[in-house]
Amino acid sequence: MNEHSRVLERDELEIAETLRSPDVDLRLPAVLPREPYPIEPLTPDARQQTRAVGQRATRSDARLHGLGQTKYIDDLSFPGMLYARIKRAGIASARIKRIDTSAAEAMPGVMAVLTGKEIPTNSFGPTFQDQPVLADPIVRHAGDGVAAVAAVTEQIANEALAKIVVEYEPLPAVLDPVAAMREDSPKVHAPNSNIYATKVVRKGDIEKGFAESDRIFEARFSTQMIEHVSLEPHAAIADWDANGRLTIWATIGRITLARADMARTLKLPMSRIRIIGTIVGGNFGGKNEISQEPALALLSKKTGRPVKGVFTRGEEFTATTTRHPIIMDYKTGVSNKGRILARQIRLVLDGGAYCSWSATTLGKACILSPGPYKIDNVVAEAFVVYTNKTMTGAMRGFGAPQVCFAYESQMDDIAKALGIDPLEIRLLNAFDEGSSSPTGQVLHSVVVKESLRKAADRFGWEPRS
Amino acid sequence: MKAFGYVSAKDLEHAITLLGEHGARAKILAGGTDLLVELKHAVHNPEVIVDVSRLHELKTIAVADDGLHIGALVTHSDIMNSPVIRDMFPALVAAAHSIGAMQTRNLGTLGGNLVTCVPSMDSGPALIALDASVTVANAEGRRRMPLAELFVGPRKTSLKPGDLLVDIVIPKENLGKPAAFEKFGLRKGQALALVNVGASFWVGDNSVFVAPRIALGAVAPTVIRAPKAEAFLDGCKISAEVMAEAGRIAAMEAKPISDFRASADYRRDLVAVLVKRALANAQARATAKEKELVA
Amino acid sequence: MTDVTMIVNGQVRGASVPPETTLLQLLRDNFNLTGAKLGCDVGDCGACTVIVDGQAVNSCLMLAGQAEGRQILTIEGLASRERLHPIQTAFENSGALQCGFCGPGVLLSAKALLDENLNPSTQEIRDALSGNLCRCTGYTKMIEAVQDAARLLREESRTQLTHARTEATAP
Repeated sequence: MNEHSRVLERDELEIAETLRSPDVDLRLPAVLPREPYPIEPLTPDARQQTRAVGQRATRSDARLHGLGQTKYIDDLSFPGMLYARIKRAGIASARIKRIDTSAAEAMPGVMAVLTGKEIPTNSFGPTFQDQPVLADPIVRHAGDGVAAVAAVTEQIANEALAKIVVEYEPLPAVLDPVAAMREDSPKVHAPNSNIYATKVVRKGDIEKGFAESDRIFEARFSTQMIEHVSLEPHAAIADWDANGRLTIWATIGRITLARADMARTLKLPMSRIRIIGTIVGGNFGGKNEISQEPALALLSKKTGRPVKGVFTRGEEFTATTTRHPIIMDYKTGVSNKGRILARQIRLVLDGGAYCSWSATTLGKACILSPGPYKIDNVVAEAFVVYTNKTMTGAMRGFGAPQVCFAYESQMDDIAKALGIDPLEIRLLNAFDEGSSSPTGQVLHSVVVKESLRKAADRFGWEPRS
Repeated sequence: MKAFGYVSAKDLEHAITLLGEHGARAKILAGGTDLLVELKHAVHNPEVIVDVSRLHELKTIAVADDGLHIGALVTHSDIMNSPVIRDMFPALVAAAHSIGAMQTRNLGTLGGNLVTCVPSMDSGPALIALDASVTVANAEGRRRMPLAELFVGPRKTSLKPGDLLVDIVIPKENLGKPAAFEKFGLRKGQALALVNVGASFWVGDNSVFVAPRIALGAVAPTVIRAPKAEAFLDGCKISAEVMAEAGRIAAMEAKPISDFRASADYRRDLVAVLVKRALANAQARATAKEKELVA
Repeated sequence: MTDVTMIVNGQVRGASVPPETTLLQLLRDNFNLTGAKLGCDVGDCGACTVIVDGQAVNSCLMLAGQAEGRQILTIEGLASRERLHPIQTAFENSGALQCGFCGPGVLLSAKALLDENLNPSTQEIRDALSGNLCRCTGYTKMIEAVQDAARLLREESRTQLTHARTEATAP
């Protein structure tokens, strides 16, 4: 046996040579997460306060957040995963005459392209199923998706979008919700009227209330469209297993609803759909329904690979739901002492291109629009109207913040006109224990006046008239 | 971003060679706070990025015979921390501090801010008010020009392919000249200026304005001077009323547009107020400096 | 392709990447350090903040090639195997993070501040955090947490000083 063919005997090796050094890059600290409460959880007796109330508690996710170890969707990746991007229409109202995806499909690295025609049921929505996964053939707002691609890198996917040729026939667009209420306005979802939901709350006798009022105040208040801007953009990953079951990792806050919508759009039994709701980087109402998930699922089916889609920050503004702008007309009758005797309200919600959570928002806004005040005579009429603008949907408050701006602003105006302290006028009118709301609900645990007084005390409010 | 070639310049000579070689096909990368955003929005599609961010020669701040030289690659954070600039020109510190946020100030360079040349640039007004000039180098050599000649229009400078901004010079006669910078934005941080103003003057005998300068930003296609307001101040006795009047005159010289951030009228109002404040601040610094020298 | 080598959290790391790769992409996709987040990709939100050669920067605004030879600290490098960094402890105790997405960026901006200034005023803290957007918390508890962390770090350095003196004077 010569030197070169001698096999190194295991014994001759240094111990250190038989072991690779451990992966110290994976700096998972050995520090264990602590218990969230300082006391053992107890099941409290009925109507007794649990001892946990008033205790300091650490959030159970605080440890991982601080370590940067929390895994959000974009932090997940799978072998062979593709990246999806969606082509946005960029035009408020149009008919798609032609989509040519051939140049994109021919690009090396582009694994699949999808258009609206290929979606089994191209409609979804939490209340009305009026929103297409990918527009076909009518585009109703500039953020409408018209095609989707899946490619091996995001860079290639972006390039592919540019190579998809879409020919649009521009259609008349309506951008103002009040104008959209007219019969002669362009119809966003032709031939239906643009007014897609209404709600009316009536209490007492409004004419009598105004007749008895000493002063009547009328004003129009309006609020603007607001975007949630959660730090984490909308994102999802879709993957199929060999038995034809779909798994979606999504940030959606209502995954059962999402399962139902996915089943409907893909014509798949719900039992074949698994949705994993991942830890979310901010929802605020904007991530409570599906958006790109059916497109990702179909791209995944076409390519046989997991497909991830992450919205750009720009898409967060154009292609996700926003807070409803509301135009609010308030007519309020008061006595000379500032007591509200009658309130007539008309709300017009800018409902965007698709319903999303607008019907719920409409209901909330309408019911809350008179404010937390004892008013015997109320008429509140609310309409939500389609326009060719960004979708409006759920956003913290669901219609409450907008009407609050209106009724509180008018309260200040009334106080000023009558020479009454703004705090006093509110104490005069606010709900008491047992008051009934505009819809007739009897209210309990009412602490409006106590809260106002306490706050005034803490702020050092000086009465002003 | 789309694909591009990338080359990192080792020193100034190497940078000039690279820029001469690639010409209009190249874009210069310094701090990247504007360029990378433009690349991501596909505003430009350069074939090559010439990275000059490692040129240590362009990161110095030093007083030379002809004045204060600030290297083009000095970052806004560097300006805020420089003992020389903090002592001599708090206005430049204020301008640098008003840009973006800590992270962007650590990356963004003075040269980059000037060369990106947006009308609302924060580095421009105070430097214009201090009669700054810039040095530009290319394969042919170096040239010096008044800073105002660098600015041609929104995002348009007088630089040609192959040019590299090398430093910014505040002339010797202006070292220690009282100056101030005022900015109004819709937020206190990460805000674009609706209007910004640079002002400087010496306090002459009998407390008069000597060599007054007023520069206005975000109210014209480039940073502009307010010559009528300057002429009004020149030789005038220093007082709050005079400063207010100068503000009103300057507001008339401004040519603002109305956009979604503010109306032209509002911007004119802002000019009047900010000019008045800048003059008052510059005077306060003059007084403080006097006390320092006397003490 | 650009070959880059740098020191990340004390370890030498290298990769061969297309030149247009940002430092953020390099950290997340090549080094699997997903703490730095993509929030806007244009340097507005600060979710991508990391510390390069001692300075907090938006990693989405740096090309990978620009990080060549430099020291990078990411959120993953703050804690050791034995204990959390005092900033992490303070944030946890103050309940300063909710969804947590902005967290890594905020903690590193706080670290950059406290490395320079162990006694920051509220205004100085606000200034240091102004490049980090948060939609959940309203920032109030973050400011408390940074003040808390400053106190913890001051105590630590006092303790170390005391030990050093004790050692120096020990027979």
